[in-house]
Amino acid sequence: MATAIARPWAKVKKSGSYKAVAAALWRENPISKLILGICSALAVTVQLKTAIVMFLALTFVVGFSNLSVSLMRRVIPRNIRIIAEVAVIATLVILADEFLKAFMYDVSKQLSVFVGLIITNCIVMGRAETYAMANPPWPSFVDGLANGIGYGSVLVGVAFFRELLGSGKLLGFPVVPQFLYEWGYTDNGLMLLAPGAFIMIGLFVWLEHALLKEK
Amino acid sequence: MSNAARTFIFAGLLCLVCSLLLTAAATGLKSFQERNVEVDRQKNILRAVGAVDPESRATPEEIESIYEKKIRRIWVDSAGRIVSEAERSKSDLPLYVYQEADRILAYVVPINTRGLWGPIHGYLAIEDDGSTIRGFAVYQHQETPGLGGEIEKRWFQENFKGKKIVNQNGKFVSVAVAKGEVKEVVPPEKRRNYVDGISGATMTGKFLSEGLADILAEYEPVSVCFRKNSPELTP
Repeated sequence: MATAIARPWAKVKKSGSYKAVAAALWRENPISKLILGICSALAVTVQLKTAIVMFLALTFVVGFSNLSVSLMRRVIPRNIRIIAEVAVIATLVILADEFLKAFMYDVSKQLSVFVGLIITNCIVMGRAETYAMANPPWPSFVDGLANGIGYGSVLVGVAFFRELLGSGKLLGFPVVPQFLYEWGYTDNGLMLLAPGAFIMIGLFVWLEHALLKEK
Repeated sequence: MSNAARTFIFAGLLCLVCSLLLTAAATGLKSFQERNVEVDRQKNILRAVGAVDPESRATPEEIESIYEKKIRRIWVDSAGRIVSEAERSKSDLPLYVYQEADRILAYVVPINTRGLWGPIHGYLAIEDDGSTIRGFAVYQHQETPGLGGEIEKRWFQENFKGKKIVNQNGKFVSVAVAKGEVKEVVPPEKRRNYVDGISGATMTGKFLSEGLADILAEYEPVSVCFRKNSPELTP
């Protein structure tokens, strides 16, 4: 029984896509391991909803910027490659922003400048420059998505605890039962402020490093 | 082909493709975005008068129907008289009235003023006594998130509720943002005219206070009508 289940997994585990996702999620997680893209992770993690939207927006941008940069990697003149990468990224970010304004106006208002700031997110630029410029389109696309997911996993994790501890809600719905408040439980206001995110991200980094060390 | 020429051609083509994509997205999504902005504007008027809860999950259609029923847009001249749409002139002031069962409960003054980084747009609702603030809502601004951007937050806007735009003698003084907490920096007799400030956003508070003073002074004839309970504004 166990081997029957393990076998398809073994095949999946050998594939390049799996390795890319696993690395980005764990060993080379952009936030908790490489400490990149912290700025937005501090800003948009007060609520789970904004974190999820930010995660999707960034994954879209980094995936497609990697894909387009990789497709053009042989024709991009070396002397303007950074500008070309930024142009591609900026276009994708504005597209994402326009879509949010059209279909998720409330969230887009809450995210305000942070969607625009994806342009300067080190993860996007870093993946385009170090990976997509040197690899074929498909692996680059997967690498982009994997890094987006790696970023998003920490973002959503941090937002989960911040919203739960800070306002007693998840996705805007109250989850802390009323009787706890009556017994004297209070929401932790620190979690709503940027320092709360710092502490949360710090704990995530610590957890990951501790677990990796054990291995 | 020389390297320089190649670079220029590549840059030109890339720019063209990017701009085409962006133009297509911007024009294609414009109607959706404009509706969102309009619904958001209506929602903020309703929030200012307290007709919808700030955290309500009302759908755009619900907002539009409540707005349709309860809010009426009118123009008044500098003496505070209603002018009909036909004889409107540029100097007339737009005003929203909030009514329930044909009774005016409050009037809403549009606030368009400057902030530190760009214009601040919002609504200030005043009770039918012409002096008590019923609510305040900001729907557009460019202040720094976390600092001046706090003006869009509930805690700041809730501050305005119950404050007065007149002093104890009934004279118009407007409402202002204090530099810090009202109970620490404002003498007791003036507390009714101040709201708590935002730390790290002194300039935003200063501009907002100045803007509110100017705009409310302009609308003072209307407020006077309400204070006297003049029949001019009753429907």
